[in-house]
Amino acid sequence: MSYLELSNVKKSFGTTIAVDDFNLSIAQGEFVSFLGPSGCGKTTTLRMVAGFELPTSGQISLQDKNLTYLPPNKRNVGMVFQSYALFPNMTVADNIGYGLKVTGKPKKETNARIKEMLGLIHMEEQHNKFPSQLSGGQQQRVALARALAIRPQVLLLDEPLSALDAKIRLELRLEIRRIQQQLGITTIYVTHDQEEALSLSDRIVVMSKGKMEQVGTPAQIYTSPETEFVANFVGQINLLPVKVVSPTQGKVKVGEQILQAGKFGHLNGNPIRLAVRPEELNHGFIEGANNLSGKVEAISYLGSIVRIRLDVEGNPISMDVFNERKLTIPSVGDDYQVTFPVEACWII
Amino acid sequence: MKTKRINFWAFFWVVLAFLYFFLPMYGTLDFSLRMKKGVLSLLAYQKVLADPQFLASFRYSAIMGVITVIFSILLFVPTVYWIHLKMRQLRPLVEIITILPFIIPVIVYVFGLIRTFSGPPFQLTLTPFKTDILMVAGYIVLAMPYMFRAIDVGMQTIDVRTLTEAAQSLGANWAQILFNVIFPNLRTAILSGALISFALVIGELILGDFLARPALGPYMVEVGRDMAYQPAALAIMSYALTWICLGLITLFSRSNNNQRQILGR
Amino acid sequence: MPSNNSQPIPVKQFQPKSQFTNWIGILPFFVFIFVFLIFPSLNLFSGAFKDQQGNFTLANMKFLSNPYVLKSYATSLQVSIITSLVGGIFGFFVAYAIVMGNTPRWMRSILTTFSGLAANFGGVPLAFAFIATLGRTGFITAILKNICYANAAGVQVCPFNPYDNGFNLYSLTGLVLTYIYFQFPLMILTITPALEGLKKEWREASENLGASSFQYWTRVALPILLPSILGSTMLLFGSAFGAFATAQALTGGSIDLVTILIGQQIRGDVLNNPNEGYALALGMVVVMAFMIVGYTILQKRTTRWLKL
Ligand SMILES: Nc1ncnc2c1ncn2[C@@H]1O[C@H](COP(=O)(O)OP(=O)(O)O)[C@@H](O)[C@H]1O
Ligand SMILES: [Mg+2]
Repeated sequence: MSYLELSNVKKSFGTTIAVDDFNLSIAQGEFVSFLGPSGCGKTTTLRMVAGFELPTSGQISLQDKNLTYLPPNKRNVGMVFQSYALFPNMTVADNIGYGLKVTGKPKKETNARIKEMLGLIHMEEQHNKFPSQLSGGQQQRVALARALAIRPQVLLLDEPLSALDAKIRLELRLEIRRIQQQLGITTIYVTHDQEEALSLSDRIVVMSKGKMEQVGTPAQIYTSPETEFVANFVGQINLLPVKVVSPTQGKVKVGEQILQAGKFGHLNGNPIRLAVRPEELNHGFIEGANNLSGKVEAISYLGSIVRIRLDVEGNPISMDVFNERKLTIPSVGDDYQVTFPVEACWII
Repeated sequence: MKTKRINFWAFFWVVLAFLYFFLPMYGTLDFSLRMKKGVLSLLAYQKVLADPQFLASFRYSAIMGVITVIFSILLFVPTVYWIHLKMRQLRPLVEIITILPFIIPVIVYVFGLIRTFSGPPFQLTLTPFKTDILMVAGYIVLAMPYMFRAIDVGMQTIDVRTLTEAAQSLGANWAQILFNVIFPNLRTAILSGALISFALVIGELILGDFLARPALGPYMVEVGRDMAYQPAALAIMSYALTWICLGLITLFSRSNNNQRQILGR
Repeated sequence: MPSNNSQPIPVKQFQPKSQFTNWIGILPFFVFIFVFLIFPSLNLFSGAFKDQQGNFTLANMKFLSNPYVLKSYATSLQVSIITSLVGGIFGFFVAYAIVMGNTPRWMRSILTTFSGLAANFGGVPLAFAFIATLGRTGFITAILKNICYANAAGVQVCPFNPYDNGFNLYSLTGLVLTYIYFQFPLMILTITPALEGLKKEWREASENLGASSFQYWTRVALPILLPSILGSTMLLFGSAFGAFATAQALTGGSIDLVTILIGQQIRGDVLNNPNEGYALALGMVVVMAFMIVGYTILQKRTTRWLKL
């Protein structure tokens, strides 16, 4: 069942441990993202799969074949780099055909594959251009085609969109997903952009400081983050410092306002915080739900949503509402009442 | 295993390069210290430094070097400044002109210079003074690729237009702009150009030789013909001089961008 | 000293009004260049086609086909091509080792610094250094001479004495060895930036696509480097072809390079027709021009992907 398997993979550079205790098994055709802040070890992990770095310990296997010490040019794993890394001295077609030529594939097959790949990325017309004549988005598409041309068993993408403009990024993101599904290719996608990870992936691995924080589907990662790091890194979150009122019932208070946590573990009296996403908050008062009152501190328009910042007993809290025509926006300084369901909050 | 092999070859080439650099240098140093039989001594250096002809020729070349540097600066700084400010379209042409001395072999150039100006109507080789004018002109041309490039690079790093407009708005005239604003901001660039030009003039053989002026180059050739140990001492001294010039350039340009300079021969 | 002139100077008067006034600023440069560079060079051209009375002639060109002259050109070309190829290849490998070889840092910085020094160290002192090192009584010669042992018959043999084995510093071989002293550092200085411009990702992408290290070099790295390599080799060729001082001081003019011949011509030693000297000099310019045209064509071809 498991197609690509990383077990107990560890990598250290001198004294810095870049990746530690990494365990992951990826199914065939799955799209997995590594998400985390810069320097957390995403690239290093990816490069170990590609063979550019040797793990300090642990094992990587593909279809039960041990890959760990195989040289990169024997792995049949396609890689797309952040900087495109197209060969500047070759045309688009030559770039795409490079992997087939160097491995001595027949000319006819190579040409057919080049044509197929050009069709896949919708760039038939540009086959004779040099990389310097292409836009960033086009270059990255060629890089994708080049990596796919060798029919790799796994496709690796290292922040492929981060050098591009916002608009192209969105366009290409959809295209990557389309191509991935069309070919059914097993893919690992490295990014520090949560939106990319959430929208593209079958599963997300959230990483921090060389360690896996949480593995799960986008929905799991977003709605039930297991650690404070994940909660903070993926999406917006309010973290209210609270005092425990009743450890068994999960009742807590901010100032004198009592709240009920939806999920809570064993409360041992340590300082704790209640987590709730801004979009779960609404204006008003609902009996049986959690209710808070505070003062409006700031209002910011973020396009389709409006973020209202409140001060509740000295703690900042954000509330996101859709920027609908019927929306009535309070003024700064107003007293304001918000409510959120019990299930939407949990103790961290 | 593969990376090990690359390292071995890298090591091999680096060691070979080290040997090529240092064996002649060390050999020369060793040789220059052996004038007195059986002991190491500075006798060869003392002999060189005590030779009035050496002192005279060194002085002559140094003076020529300083004059060349001064006139080069006065000629090239305003030119490059003007090109950057007003005549950007001329830059490619001027760039080609300034590398001509790299393309035309020095001896060919000097041949043309002498044949052109020694005869009538110019007759610039009749008196030492007139010959020296020709020498300086020749030196300026030979040093031009370095001087121009140094100033050009320096000029690119400062915003000439803004500086000029700022100075103008404060009421400065052209001379004040050049001397009080542009020159000080180009200190590093001018200095490295000057040092390279100076080193070039000091080591130059062809002009001094064929115009029969008492420069250091011809003196060295003469010493090389007649003596055994003094040439080695002279070679070490030139190493040191080149070293000092390059060292000063690195020192001055460290704060700015590190430009590698190439000097000709 | 700030001027105490209280009257504000109108800014406007410093804005030259026409293209013509713009030209005045660079007039000194062009006058100087015309008088001391262009004019003498043009004079060289016309002189090559004149006889001593100043009439047009092609006789000087015939002088160029004189076997003695042809041989000097051949020798000059030979020395320049050998030293720029050997020095170039050697310098390339050293630069490669510096940039990508994981050699110790201090070694790299010493090498780069000394490349700057050695590339600038030419002329007469270089000849002296080689004489002191590899001359008949030079440092290395002395060491090699003293490696002796007794053979089976009990006779002392010194198998490494270079001067007993056909080596002579004051020959073409010696000249080549000496020129390489400035040639390979020149290559290091000019090719290092190009090598540093090779992106690590290109190598990785190539490997990732299944290529060997050899395939990476022949299909990716060298084609990308080719324009720079050509340019550097060109520079090396020019610096050897035009070199005069080192050869003069090393061999005392006993090797007939074109530059040495022109030198003798200027002194009036050998030929009595100065216009033949013009032809000799013009020939050198023509060789350089040929090299540059060839270089430009190759450059155009190898940088097709750069310019478009
Ligand atoms: N070649 C290397 N040598 C030393 N340290 C490295 C090297 N590559 C990465 N690191 C370190 O490993 C850590 C993880 O890096 P990386 O995998 O590039 O992070 P990410 O891709 O998540 O931004 C960082 O602290 C980085 O400094
Ligand atoms: Mg990274």
